[in-house]
Amino acid sequence: MLMPDRWDGSPRHSPQDSLGQLVDLSERLRQRLGEARGGGWRVSPWWFAGALLVLWALSGIYIVAPDQRGVVLRFGKVVGETDPGPHYHLPWPIEQVLRPSVTAIRKEEIGFRTIEVGPPARYQEVDAEALMLTGDENIVKLEFIVQYKVRADSTGTSDFLFNVRDADGAVRAAAEAGMREVIGRTAIDQVLTEGKEQVQLEAQKLLQAILDRYGAGIEIVTVKLQDVDPPDQVSDAFKDVISAQQDKERLINEARGYANDVVPRARGQAAQTVNEAEAYRETKVREATGTAQRFTKQQEEYAKAKDVTRRRLYLETMESILPGANKIVMDDLAGKQAVPYLPLEAVVPRREAPASAPAGGGR
Amino acid sequence: MRVDRRWLGLLGAIALVVAVWNLALFTVPQWMQAMVVQLGEPVRVVREPGLYWKIPFIQQVIYFDRRLLDYDAASKDILTIDKQQLSVDNYSRWRIADPLQFYRTVRDERGAQSRLDDIVYSDLRETLGRHTLRDIVSDKRDQLMADVTARSAEKAKVYGIEVVDVRIKRADLPEKNEQTVFGRMRSERERQAKKFRAEGDEEARKIRSESDKQVQILLADATQQAEVIRGEGDANATRIFADAYGRDPDFYAFQRTLEAYRSALTTGTTVILSPKSEFFRFLERAESGGEPK
Repeated sequence: MLMPDRWDGSPRHSPQDSLGQLVDLSERLRQRLGEARGGGWRVSPWWFAGALLVLWALSGIYIVAPDQRGVVLRFGKVVGETDPGPHYHLPWPIEQVLRPSVTAIRKEEIGFRTIEVGPPARYQEVDAEALMLTGDENIVKLEFIVQYKVRADSTGTSDFLFNVRDADGAVRAAAEAGMREVIGRTAIDQVLTEGKEQVQLEAQKLLQAILDRYGAGIEIVTVKLQDVDPPDQVSDAFKDVISAQQDKERLINEARGYANDVVPRARGQAAQTVNEAEAYRETKVREATGTAQRFTKQQEEYAKAKDVTRRRLYLETMESILPGANKIVMDDLAGKQAVPYLPLEAVVPRREAPASAPAGGGR
Repeated sequence: MRVDRRWLGLLGAIALVVAVWNLALFTVPQWMQAMVVQLGEPVRVVREPGLYWKIPFIQQVIYFDRRLLDYDAASKDILTIDKQQLSVDNYSRWRIADPLQFYRTVRDERGAQSRLDDIVYSDLRETLGRHTLRDIVSDKRDQLMADVTARSAEKAKVYGIEVVDVRIKRADLPEKNEQTVFGRMRSERERQAKKFRAEGDEEARKIRSESDKQVQILLADATQQAEVIRGEGDANATRIFADAYGRDPDFYAFQRTLEAYRSALTTGTTVILSPKSEFFRFLERAESGGEPK
């Protein structure tokens, strides 16, 4: 009942027992020596008491391990703290030393428990702890850990030992309350996405403030969100939102792909159309130039000998046309009278209509 | 027997020290406080750690924890002002502030726990009952807890108890309301999913139609340009022809007519020729070289 329940070191020794043992032992030793030497040699009680005192004084030597800090109590009252290494305190029952481990980082898991450290590690979810109401009255499933240690300043160890009973439990309860308070102020989308960092920081600050108020001598090293999910009952709806977002991206990307496909093709087609037109223009101009030059050249020669050339050209033309044509030669007068009577069959052996164009001669 | 007496003296001294230590002295450790009770009646309270005297046999020492203690209540249903049921799990941190009062009223920690249960629960129910679910969960949580702590602390004083902190550890909705919330969350998400898909469709349509538009404009532009270019070609050609032919329109007409004959009077065409035509000029009067005109 007198010992704090997280006291690391056990009581130095149980004095009544050891004293009794010592007295008992010396008694037997004395008897045996007395028998051996025929009672010639005797131990002085003062000498014995002195030895006892020395032993008792020596029992005050103690060692503080590297991860520990020693707290010296004189009649239950704190009189000092000691760093790792060998030290001396006045022997029991005047002084005692508590040696809690202060450098170790302690951990509380909230919303889940580690069943097996692994690997592979196995966890079990604890829904009652994990489900929390958010600021917009949604429910989120949140698992987190709190890492903490004994505060490293001069009063940290004493505060940790003497101010709060069951400090670990206090951290745990305060962490649950603090985290719920922070989540209670935060919208679910914040918690699930970009607000995590913020939640961690706020929860850590709040938790530290609560524990400081208790004077718990504890420093929160970190509050870390492990898993933040929508509750199982609605997780498929949340997943669908994600896939809807991806659908959106996909649709847009496909449309962009379409744009990237048709626009360059159209540009190509447009260029083709323009090029074809340009080709047409250049062809036209060149053909025209050629034809014109041909004409000009011909005309130049024609101008030198108009009649002859004119006749030659006429005759050459007739010569090339007439061999393939059905020819009827008629006097002008006769023609005027006869034409109406010409049997069409005779005149038109083929299907073509009678061509009377050159009837007027080479004009 | 002189030796034996000395031994007895030593043992006697040790026994005396042990007896005094056990019967007339007591230590109060740093994390404790104590009360000296004489024949069942408290006579002295010791708040500071250290070594103290007491009268052997008549006086007993009762120890009390000086540290901050925990009281974790079972979760209870509380009705908020907007008629929402809330299952509240709270904890309190308290310490024994006045051992004498504490001993007289609740005797020990067990007694204190049950008294705290009454005090804190009634304050909690009363305070939370005057607020909405929203206030409790988010907006005023801090303030409400401070209120409950202050009220409970006031009431607990008479028991020698100092209530340091009352805090809602969990505030959950009962099963039935939870289902309602899940339903709302679900429909909310479905709405979002629909919106995303519709937005995707919107964007995609915009992009597609925009590109279709671009394509059409590109092609129309090209057609326009092409027509202009072709026109230029035609115009240039016309100009070139006009320039050339304009130098001798008569020859052009003659030559072009001949050319037209060639193409118009194809094989098989029936031609009625007058013997007086240019072509037959020499057929009858070979000697008379009259001009056709």
